[in-house]
Amino acid sequence: MDLLTVEHVTKRYASHTALDDVSLAIPQGSVYGLLGPNGAGKTTLIRIINRITAPDSGRVLFGDREIAPEDVYRIGYLPEERGLYKKMKVGEQAVFFARLKGLSRREAIVRLKEWFIKFGIQDWWDKKVEELSKGMAQKVQFIVTVLHEPKLLIFDEPFSGFDPINANLLKDEILGLRDKGATVIFSTHNMSSVEEICDHITLINKSRNILSGKVDDIRRRHGSNIFEIAYRGDEQTLRQAVTGRCEILDVTQEESVYRMLKLHVENDAEVRGVIAAVNEAVELRSFREIIPSMNDIFIRAVNGKL
Amino acid sequence: MSNISIIIQREFNERVRKKSFIITTLLMPLLMIALMAAPALIMQFSRGDEKVIAVIDESGLVAPMLESDEEIRFETTELPTEEARKELTEKFGVLYIGGDVLENPNNVRLYANSSSSLSLESNITGQIERILEAEKLKAYNIENLSQILEQVKTKVVMQTFRNDKSQEEDTQAQSSAVATGVGYVLGFILYMFLLIYGSMVMQSVIEEKNNRVLEVMVSSVRPFDLMMGKILGVASVAIVQVLIWGVLIAGVGALVMPHLMPEDVMASAQAMQQGMPDAASMTDMNPEMLQAVAAMTDLGYIIKIFASLLLFVFGGYLLYSAMFAAVGSAVDNVQDASQLQMPITLPIILALLMMFVVIRDPNSQMAFWFSIIPFTSPIVMMARIPYDIPLWEIVLSLVILYGSFMGMVWVASKIYRVGIFMYGKKPSLKELFKWIRYKY
Repeated sequence: MDLLTVEHVTKRYASHTALDDVSLAIPQGSVYGLLGPNGAGKTTLIRIINRITAPDSGRVLFGDREIAPEDVYRIGYLPEERGLYKKMKVGEQAVFFARLKGLSRREAIVRLKEWFIKFGIQDWWDKKVEELSKGMAQKVQFIVTVLHEPKLLIFDEPFSGFDPINANLLKDEILGLRDKGATVIFSTHNMSSVEEICDHITLINKSRNILSGKVDDIRRRHGSNIFEIAYRGDEQTLRQAVTGRCEILDVTQEESVYRMLKLHVENDAEVRGVIAAVNEAVELRSFREIIPSMNDIFIRAVNGKL
Repeated sequence: MSNISIIIQREFNERVRKKSFIITTLLMPLLMIALMAAPALIMQFSRGDEKVIAVIDESGLVAPMLESDEEIRFETTELPTEEARKELTEKFGVLYIGGDVLENPNNVRLYANSSSSLSLESNITGQIERILEAEKLKAYNIENLSQILEQVKTKVVMQTFRNDKSQEEDTQAQSSAVATGVGYVLGFILYMFLLIYGSMVMQSVIEEKNNRVLEVMVSSVRPFDLMMGKILGVASVAIVQVLIWGVLIAGVGALVMPHLMPEDVMASAQAMQQGMPDAASMTDMNPEMLQAVAAMTDLGYIIKIFASLLLFVFGGYLLYSAMFAAVGSAVDNVQDASQLQMPITLPIILALLMMFVVIRDPNSQMAFWFSIIPFTSPIVMMARIPYDIPLWEIVLSLVILYGSFMGMVWVASKIYRVGIFMYGKKPSLKELFKWIRYKY
């Protein structure tokens, strides 16, 4: 079942079109990557989902009905550009944001104490925000975003400003929330984090949805029959053996135990023949398909080479 | 609980807890009293050092009769004028009175060693005039002259009453001096509140935008609620401040003042509140001071003034703060705001200038219109209220003021909506007006 569906959403500003007929469906319980270069329209889409701005045409469904004002209580949004009131105390401020999301003061304090203990930051409660470092403030901001246990969490570049240790902590928390039933939208340029935690993605470029689907499917679909061979033996023999069956792309001249060779096989039926030929010619140690990284797919898709 | 009220609470708590708020709230009334008392105090202090004046009296009539007081001490000297001027440099100055002063009163000169003052000069000329007048009267050989003069002495005290009041009501004595003073103070309070609290709203919007707190807030609060919450939150601070001042002044007036003032003054002030025409004669106090005392200790009067003050501070503030919020949303820092602020600060300053004109003739056509037009009405009307203007004018002015606030909020919220997401380039006024028509 899809928790959130975006149907044919178009949004125009005075001078440009931010979103042009964008549709996507976010399955319940998924971590959904929203990718795209700067200025592609990701933030506009997120703002429309958050009801900060309205689309010119198209609609957004939350569950099976159109999204409504009360749904802000079911959404937690951590924007890319984020901040806190500098002069306010951490605890007081967290309670303030929690109340805006519909929690009672008492409920907010109980939940906050739990989170503060979890992150080991109990003694920050009475500190002013201006006394915290940027990373510390980000932690508080994260807690504030998830405190009301929203069904839908939207993170815009959540790891910016975190050191690797805290980024990992955060990643585990996000996956933990997903396991508890939350659906996560994750907007980023950082492709390695996409491979690690996203199961679905949508790639937006120039206001349009150009690529959508499960991460594994996309990577496999865009795998282009490139294989890497590790072997022991004579390179020339190998070359002769495979000539005509495939195209040799690259020979790695590393001084390691095995020699490496990259080749491109035109169609899937040829793969077994190539393996047999290589096996005849040299001592074959490994033969594996190279599946492109999300980074490669991203760059190729944005450049229109997909 | 609605989001607006949560935001109002935050804005209120943040500001009221600040030390600066507590200090200004308590110190402002003291400062205002000090300002009003300043002229009297300055006179008190300037009397401090005694000035010695050497007198060369060639007529021999004046010098013996000159009376020294705390300010001036006269000493006769036998030195010739030129020498006295050269030698008596440690004295304040040398007063020369010509031998023919009775016939030629212009033959009086003061050679001062430092700059003299108006009060000192009028003190000296006043004394000499009286001495010469007495001397001239003597020439008529009237019997019992000093007794006659004592009997002839007269002092006129005038009280002003209003005719247009209905018979049932007390005809309270009106002093235009007191009304003018109160009018000025009220007009200034309005001016300060509009500027200080208005730009407080603007600065806090800019700060939220700069901090990027706004980005977080808008996901849970509608921008309109956000703006109204801030405006009303800051307004509640202003109202609390006015209320505290009102209570302080009423308390001082009704409870403390009666114990400090001499009994006859209080009795006469009370008589004046009750409209007795001969109230002022009960004490020898200056009638204007007396009326000020009567006004200060009249609870009904204070409550009436503060009720209208609250209504106009609130309405005027709402109108202007909506504009300040719109400007704040459009810029990234306070420096950029100065140019866009012009259309807001100009009417406030105009209103202040109009106040000076209007207060001299509070019932003129011009006074009426400027206290009805919403942008100038809070300040101008507040300055007129001590003059007992008709109630319908106040009500009309308030209705128009609050009505135009509604319109202004609608416009401002449109600009605010667009402005809070605009970073970088500083927009022009023209662009701000374009934003009003943007759809969201």
